[in-house]
Amino acid sequence: MTRPSGAHLSPDEIDSWLAGTLAQEWQQHLDQCQICLERAHGEREIVEQIGALPLMSPAADFADRVMASVVVPDPFAIRSLQATQRRLLATPRSLAVAASLTLLLLGSMAGSIAWSLTHQETIASIGSWFLAQGGQVAWLSLRGLASNLIEQPWYHGIRTLVDNPVRLALGSALASLAYLGGVFALRRLLALPTQQVAHAGI
Amino acid sequence: MASRRPDWGGLSDHEVVLLARAGQESAYRELIRRYERPVFALLFRMVRDRELAEDLAQETFVKALNAIDSYRPEFKFSSWIFKIGNNTAIDHLRRRELDTLSLDGSPHAETPEAMQATALQIGARQESPLDTVEAKELGGAIEAAIGSLRPEYRSCILLRHVEGRPYEEIAEILNLPLGTVKTYIHRARNELRQSLAHLKE
Repeated sequence: MTRPSGAHLSPDEIDSWLAGTLAQEWQQHLDQCQICLERAHGEREIVEQIGALPLMSPAADFADRVMASVVVPDPFAIRSLQATQRRLLATPRSLAVAASLTLLLLGSMAGSIAWSLTHQETIASIGSWFLAQGGQVAWLSLRGLASNLIEQPWYHGIRTLVDNPVRLALGSALASLAYLGGVFALRRLLALPTQQVAHAGI
Repeated sequence: MASRRPDWGGLSDHEVVLLARAGQESAYRELIRRYERPVFALLFRMVRDRELAEDLAQETFVKALNAIDSYRPEFKFSSWIFKIGNNTAIDHLRRRELDTLSLDGSPHAETPEAMQATALQIGARQESPLDTVEAKELGGAIEAAIGSLRPEYRSCILLRHVEGRPYEEIAEILNLPLGTVKTYIHRARNELRQSLAHLKE
């Protein structure tokens, strides 16, 4: 770039001078201009001082602390994924198979969506048929269960017990006692040992 | 099967990043080893507090390494990590500036008495005696002068003259036009010269 007459060095030219790439005509000006020379030397002094700043390093365990918070991807999972991708894209034939499967999948999904949208009444009638059938099956099952229960040999004994209030109270008390006894025994069984177990030293 | 240890010295940053993406933990450690010193040095000179700089450097590396898949290889890895580091430091400095109470009192104070009661200056850029001692330990006047620069000037001058990064890369790191970077560096050098001249006097 030609130097306009009377012009001093711009910051860019001072940078060039610092980098040792100042054009000849600017160099000639610098040799004669005391203002530019002082500025250039001042800049060089600053740059040298900054460049001489001490090197700094973080603590020795810095990398460990960083790695403790970094999630490294599982190489096995990545390799499996890459292997599958490679296998699928290995030959034109495997690529064609993969593309066909994808197309088939996407096509069937699109087809089912389209069919559902155009046959909403059919879907609703199928739904109500299933609901009616389900209700009927549930009612028949309940009736069958009840009649089966009545025909059991122990049913009459239970009815006799429930009909007599004294026997009912006695039966309930016995059942409650058996239940409480069971809970207590279970708690004793599951309680942690209060004394050290010889073979379980940590 | 014995795992093959790559010759890290012969690998570019991009190749190490590819190994990290493949799940090699040693590649992550290699990236930390390559950039922990320059990133820490930049952050330390930005915030002037060793412990805080370590925390910010740690945050920088954790952010970068956890997002290693989003790194785009057309950019230099150094630019990417310096950009994350610089943004982390600038965010911190902005938060600290917001936390600083105004000279005229809290902005939430509703009466003149409340304003007076909260009128206290803990300037973010003002040097505490501890900072001053630390600056002396670090190499004195020039460190203190750099510490008094605006954060944007500080980033530019440190990246240029401490890390030796070209102007174009600094523009990329700081997301600034090239001309702005040159202006900032020139102004920063001017301010440093004036600060040092005052100290000499």
